[in-house]
Amino acid sequence: MTSSRTVTRLARILALIPYVLDRDSVDIEEIKSRFNYTEAQLSKDLNTIFVCGLPGYGPGDLMEAYVDEDEVVIDAADYFSKAPRLTPPEALGLLASGLTVLGTGEGSPALESAVRKLTKVTMPEADTSLVVDVMDRSEYVGILREAASASRQVKIVYRSVGKEEETTRIIEPWSVFTTLGRWYVHARCQLVDDARTFRVDRIRELEVLDETYEPPAKLPEPGVGYSPAEGDISCVIDLTPRARWVLEYYPVDVIAETKNKTRIEFHAPDAEVPARLLFRLGGDAKLVQGEEVLSRTKELGATLLKRYS
Amino acid sequence: MQNVVERVLNLLIYLLESPHPVTAEDVRQTVAGYDDQNDEAFHRMFERDKDVLRRLGVPIKMEALDGWEIDFGYTVDPEEYAIPDPGLKHEERVALSVAAHMVRLGGEAAGVDAIIKLGGIERRAGIEPLGADLGEEAESLGALFGAVTERRKVTFDYRGHKRPVSPYGLAHRRGHWYMVGGTPDGERMYRVDRIENLEVGAEAGAFKKPRGFDMKSTFNAQPWEAGPDQELSVTVRFASDVAWWAARSLGIDEPDGVLETEVQVVNRDAFVGWVLSFGEGAEVVAPKEMRQMMESRVRDVVGTLK
Repeated sequence: MTSSRTVTRLARILALIPYVLDRDSVDIEEIKSRFNYTEAQLSKDLNTIFVCGLPGYGPGDLMEAYVDEDEVVIDAADYFSKAPRLTPPEALGLLASGLTVLGTGEGSPALESAVRKLTKVTMPEADTSLVVDVMDRSEYVGILREAASASRQVKIVYRSVGKEEETTRIIEPWSVFTTLGRWYVHARCQLVDDARTFRVDRIRELEVLDETYEPPAKLPEPGVGYSPAEGDISCVIDLTPRARWVLEYYPVDVIAETKNKTRIEFHAPDAEVPARLLFRLGGDAKLVQGEEVLSRTKELGATLLKRYS
Repeated sequence: MQNVVERVLNLLIYLLESPHPVTAEDVRQTVAGYDDQNDEAFHRMFERDKDVLRRLGVPIKMEALDGWEIDFGYTVDPEEYAIPDPGLKHEERVALSVAAHMVRLGGEAAGVDAIIKLGGIERRAGIEPLGADLGEEAESLGALFGAVTERRKVTFDYRGHKRPVSPYGLAHRRGHWYMVGGTPDGERMYRVDRIENLEVGAEAGAFKKPRGFDMKSTFNAQPWEAGPDQELSVTVRFASDVAWWAARSLGIDEPDGVLETEVQVVNRDAFVGWVLSFGEGAEVVAPKEMRQMMESRVRDVVGTLK
């Protein structure tokens, strides 16, 4: 098996040659930036190009490739006047990138027409076959992105994930990102004086303030999971296979797993979240352990029964 | 690696420039880097190098060398080799470059390899604070995307069963990739991360997509919109502290206070679950049938509590 590094290196060489051929010579700094080259890598690749060519491999058969007064020159390589076509993973990667950014509402008309042109050449018969839907209302994503670019503080009214209540906080947004189908803003939260990751769809209101903040020299890695804190309640719940989606949406630990049953430990700041979840899941979940959750679920059940009967 | 890179470049030049298909033996005699190898080593090397070319996107074809189709040779058609020019303008190239660096797939910037082939990265000053992660399943997705665009049939294991599928389209939604395709039992949807032992058929154009197929319309927006039952109009009321949150999920305008709205429901069970996820904050107002379903769900859950 040949390493993917070899493939990556060849792909770059086969893209570099047509680019330079098309222009006779190109400034070395432009080549380095455009093709992600260090000086050493570029010189190694030019030396490789220089010893390859047509069978016979005499001086007149080899390609020419060298640097002349900070200009990269490549010649005698007409068979490489075009780069090889995109592979399916390459085409998918680029199209999905374009569609993702368009889906945020943060795309430009230029991106829209670029994606259209690319779709036409890469999937002429399948132009309705690829959908990237990153969900959520997009306007906050754009506002937060601009606030992050300008290092502006933002006041948010936030409904936290673990606790069914709203708080008002001032945050210093560092970056906006999406993973697992949701948008998050990674920020320093002045309320807790620490880094926090907020779900954008849970921001009820938002106001960009005039105050700016000093961005840290190096951003900490954002974490999207909820980490249990001291004083959290926990309970044990059995799920049927139909309720397994819970594992993907809540921060839970799987304790035991059989074909028909998944036993999880559920952590939350209060009993309200697991109590509501039990009603939501109905027959697909069973509370096995957890006094606080048991009493809150009974209480909520009584209130609801009074309402409906 | 140095030797491999040089040898593969020389092989590709030879295949592009030869006016006729060439045999493995031709390659061995002619292309620099293959001499001095015994039979077995040569064949291993040649297979590996062809595989590298395919991974680069080089279309290597096998063609008969005679009318009796006894001997076959390899060839690369320069027309088929060349990347089709999408005709991108400068600002379009910049927009794609920026997007490629914002989105990750399989842990890497998703579109940068393609951008390099399309003439390199266009740099823009400043850090881009927006990012997107489309998951880890890059390898099977790439193969499935190739099968979708070239209309190749696929087979794979899914929840312990072997499935033959004609793949119609791919979608990323709510954090997962899905594939929709035709099966002997009709159209089916599969989660890509649960697809195992994927095999892509050799024949291109092996099936026809249904007329007017659109991946967008294969998704139901809400879980209660799909199902075999009759549609029912349900009135539901949300308390003011959760009304904005409910309105956002329903895709309607956010109210100032309490929200009372009508929702078209097919899958009653899914809708009951969603309303109950608001706890005391939501109440089904009408019809009576739906209120009774709410009651019986609550009663069932309370009944399971010790």
